[in-house]
Amino acid sequence: MTRTSAPGVRIDDLTVVYKTPAGELPALGGVSLSLAPGTITGIVGESGSGKSTLALSLLNAVQPPGRISGGTVEIDGLGNVVDLQGEELRRARGRQVGYVFQAAQNSLNPLKTVGKQLLDLGRSHDFDDLPALLKDARALLGRMGLDGGRVLDSYQHELSGGMRQRVGIMFALVLNAHLVVLDEPTTALDMITQASILRIVRDVHHERGLTTLIITHDMGVAAEVTDSLAVMYGGRVVEHGPTTEVLGAPRHPYTQGLIRAIPRLSGDIDEARALPGRPPTLGTIPKQGCVFRERCPIRIAVCDTVDPVPVTRDARTVACHAVGQPATPVTPKEFA
Amino acid sequence: MTVVEGMPATVTLRRNFWRGVGRVMRRKPSRMVGVGIVVLFVFMGIFGPLLYPDPLPRDDNALYASPSWAHPFGTDFEGTDVLALVVTGTRYVLLAGLTTAVITVALGTAIGLLAGFHRGRWDTVLMRLTDLQLTIPGLPLLLVLSTVWKFTSPVEMGVVLGLLGWGGIARAVRSQSLSLRERGFIEAAKGLGLSTRHIIGRELLPSMAPYIAMNMLIAVTGAIYAQVGLFFLGVLPFDANNWGVMLNLSVFGGGALSSTAALPYLLAPLLAILLLTLGIVLVVDAMDEIFNPRLREE
Amino acid sequence: MITASGIVKTYKQRGNMLGARAVPALRGVDFAIPRGGAVTFIGESGCGKTTLGRIVAGLETYDAGEIVIDGTPMSSLKPRHREPFFRRIQLIHQDPYSALNPTRTIHQTLAAPLALRAKQTGRDKAWMEQRAAELLALVGIDPGYVLPRYPHQLSGGMRQRVVIARALTVDPEVLVADESVSMIDVSLRLGVLSLLKDLRERLNVSVLFITHDIATARYIGGDGELYVIYRGQVVESGPTESVISGPIHPYTQSLLSAIPVLHGVERPGPERVVPTEALDESHADSGCLFARRCPFATDICTAEPPALVPDGDQAHACHHPRRRSVIPVEAVA
Repeated sequence: MTRTSAPGVRIDDLTVVYKTPAGELPALGGVSLSLAPGTITGIVGESGSGKSTLALSLLNAVQPPGRISGGTVEIDGLGNVVDLQGEELRRARGRQVGYVFQAAQNSLNPLKTVGKQLLDLGRSHDFDDLPALLKDARALLGRMGLDGGRVLDSYQHELSGGMRQRVGIMFALVLNAHLVVLDEPTTALDMITQASILRIVRDVHHERGLTTLIITHDMGVAAEVTDSLAVMYGGRVVEHGPTTEVLGAPRHPYTQGLIRAIPRLSGDIDEARALPGRPPTLGTIPKQGCVFRERCPIRIAVCDTVDPVPVTRDARTVACHAVGQPATPVTPKEFA
Repeated sequence: MTVVEGMPATVTLRRNFWRGVGRVMRRKPSRMVGVGIVVLFVFMGIFGPLLYPDPLPRDDNALYASPSWAHPFGTDFEGTDVLALVVTGTRYVLLAGLTTAVITVALGTAIGLLAGFHRGRWDTVLMRLTDLQLTIPGLPLLLVLSTVWKFTSPVEMGVVLGLLGWGGIARAVRSQSLSLRERGFIEAAKGLGLSTRHIIGRELLPSMAPYIAMNMLIAVTGAIYAQVGLFFLGVLPFDANNWGVMLNLSVFGGGALSSTAALPYLLAPLLAILLLTLGIVLVVDAMDEIFNPRLREE
Repeated sequence: MITASGIVKTYKQRGNMLGARAVPALRGVDFAIPRGGAVTFIGESGCGKTTLGRIVAGLETYDAGEIVIDGTPMSSLKPRHREPFFRRIQLIHQDPYSALNPTRTIHQTLAAPLALRAKQTGRDKAWMEQRAAELLALVGIDPGYVLPRYPHQLSGGMRQRVVIARALTVDPEVLVADESVSMIDVSLRLGVLSLLKDLRERLNVSVLFITHDIATARYIGGDGELYVIYRGQVVESGPTESVISGPIHPYTQSLLSAIPVLHGVERPGPERVVPTEALDESHADSGCLFARRCPFATDICTAEPPALVPDGDQAHACHHPRRRSVIPVEAVA
């Protein structure tokens, strides 16, 4: 196994639009985000926040009617993914960027054994040494607590949900990719299975020296494994920073509301508060101004007209007018 | 969508439904073409016979005349205008087709729904009955029947074809309702104590409406083929004016397959069948969107 | 008041030529739902908790045991006569997308059961209209906006509220909520949960809450009873807060340990339990059902099935009971 260092990823002003009868609507409105080499980054957001679109953009795999209409995605060793096309792009997927799909539990071919599908993958990437590939796969599955030989000989229906998820992770890693994207890796899994999958993600990440991106709607999942955390809302990254800091002292009102809305096992349960309103869909994202203002408790006049620019201070990024410059407090008179 | 003040919600709903249908139809030009064709044939079926004198005039000087301005599709062996024959024949064809479709869909849907919803003993009995129907060989039976029955009325024709054709729909509807009955909203309706009639009529049936409507339209085309075929084969007496009769006479009487004289006489009814089928197929395409509120509104 | 005792349900799985295999879904479960109270069943998928909810709602039969609703044992009645009893228990489905008929407007959806109710109580059409609006307002949505709309025009949270409003049309005594928020956006979940909590207080409805997420159970039924189910059997029960803060059964401890820790706000519990993974899918049914995955199992565990025994205000079925502190602790800032 050749060891290459974990790649860094720099997403800059990425815009993705979807073509609808109502015109082209932005699913991602100028997202900038960096994944530091060797870290686990979590992206947390609700449905319609654009988190899955962002993940697909890393592979330049946004499907029509969507398209990347602007911005760049620079991956170390690959260059700007947005410019890659055809054969080049196909090779990058799998070899450099491993992807564990949403509902990976159901993404296996039910008519072929796992081993057969692995060989297909190897052939399509022109692997000469297929036995070595099988050996790697067995080792990876063994690392995840499975009997590799048995799993490779199994059909999808013979594996449990947790086992399939592990097989999905194996497929993402077996071609020696060092950037791994996991889209909702634990949805539809039980609590105990979820905990073990997350443990595996973390251990494998460290052992193989990866850069990992986890997309999830569950703050807890992100909290459990990630080093840095980005919160998305309405096609924008509204807050980004080290996980413990974002959770411990959230700055954006959406992050604050989201954390307050999680019922917890300790402390006063009645402190949990629901977030008012509902998340925007593609068609209802405001054309101008802050995307969160409808649900925001600290909304000010400028929020209606100007989209807040993400401001970075002390390794933390927040896109909010009201908390952007805490040094110069907003005088209520000015906006009354 | 807003409810207009002072108007019952159902009226608004119905109007919105038709507005939605219009929107769905306008979405693709092909659908409008289909609607145009179907409307044209329905018009011919209703008013066609009124446009021409009965019986149709003969012209002994122009037997098997070539197409001309007076006779766009020529004339037949008696010198009667072929176009007039096609137009006046539409009523029989459509009426028989419609009767067949109504009977197959009504019987098939009712039996399929009952069997699928109730399961158990009902299911067993009704499905054996369906199997029985499916095993009846249609054509031989019709041949036998035609020796004793003249089928002068299109409705008689339609009833017989209908009774011979509901099995397939019954099976399909049954399997649909088997899957639908597991859905949350059906279970909820049962849990709320709503009547079986309500559940079948108001919850299950509308969910299957696109499917049933599609089957109905396709049944019309099937019935048209079947009756035209029977007349063409000469199984049935030539009492009625029918496209199938025209085909038969052109081929076996006029020798349309070997000489060109009777060719327009052969092509005119064929074209009519083709056009009508095309029209129906183009309309079928819209059924899914018409009966699904989400697709209808967007 | 509903009491259930010894509920057993076995599914026959279509097997090979040698015949059907019996799959036990519930192996004798006892519980009681007091008026206005909250009872939670917690466990992993396939543990039988959903089957239990469906049995309580009358949507599924059971093979043995007895359900007593307001003093009437169900086994004493013909199936036809059970219906009015089970109508007082309404199931809120997990999936608000399939629970509403896509071809019917919300108005139509609510009108059907209300019409039935109006007929029973001799009320008129005006009452129905008024009641529909009242119920929607009760579940926190604007009737004027929702009534003329189709389900696809509403968000997941709104749909689930409509489903709850529909269940309320028959004035139920118990709402069975089976994973009722798992398919709703995170920021909207707590709203639906607090609605259920609210209904308990305002209408004195009991809630039977079925979930895999203990924290939401604590939110809705913190004052109620919690039952932990493993493979069709109750392994631990007791007041929700007691079980969460002092779980006795290793399975309960594993479940609680598996809940993600909000690093930065919380620290992991000191005695977290990680179950050994059962890679062999064929489970032996002798002894304790959890023995194969239990890190504390000894010989007796595989030999003898433990009985559910009371221990303080809790009850557990374990040969080696020991309270462990596994839940995350508040990090001191």
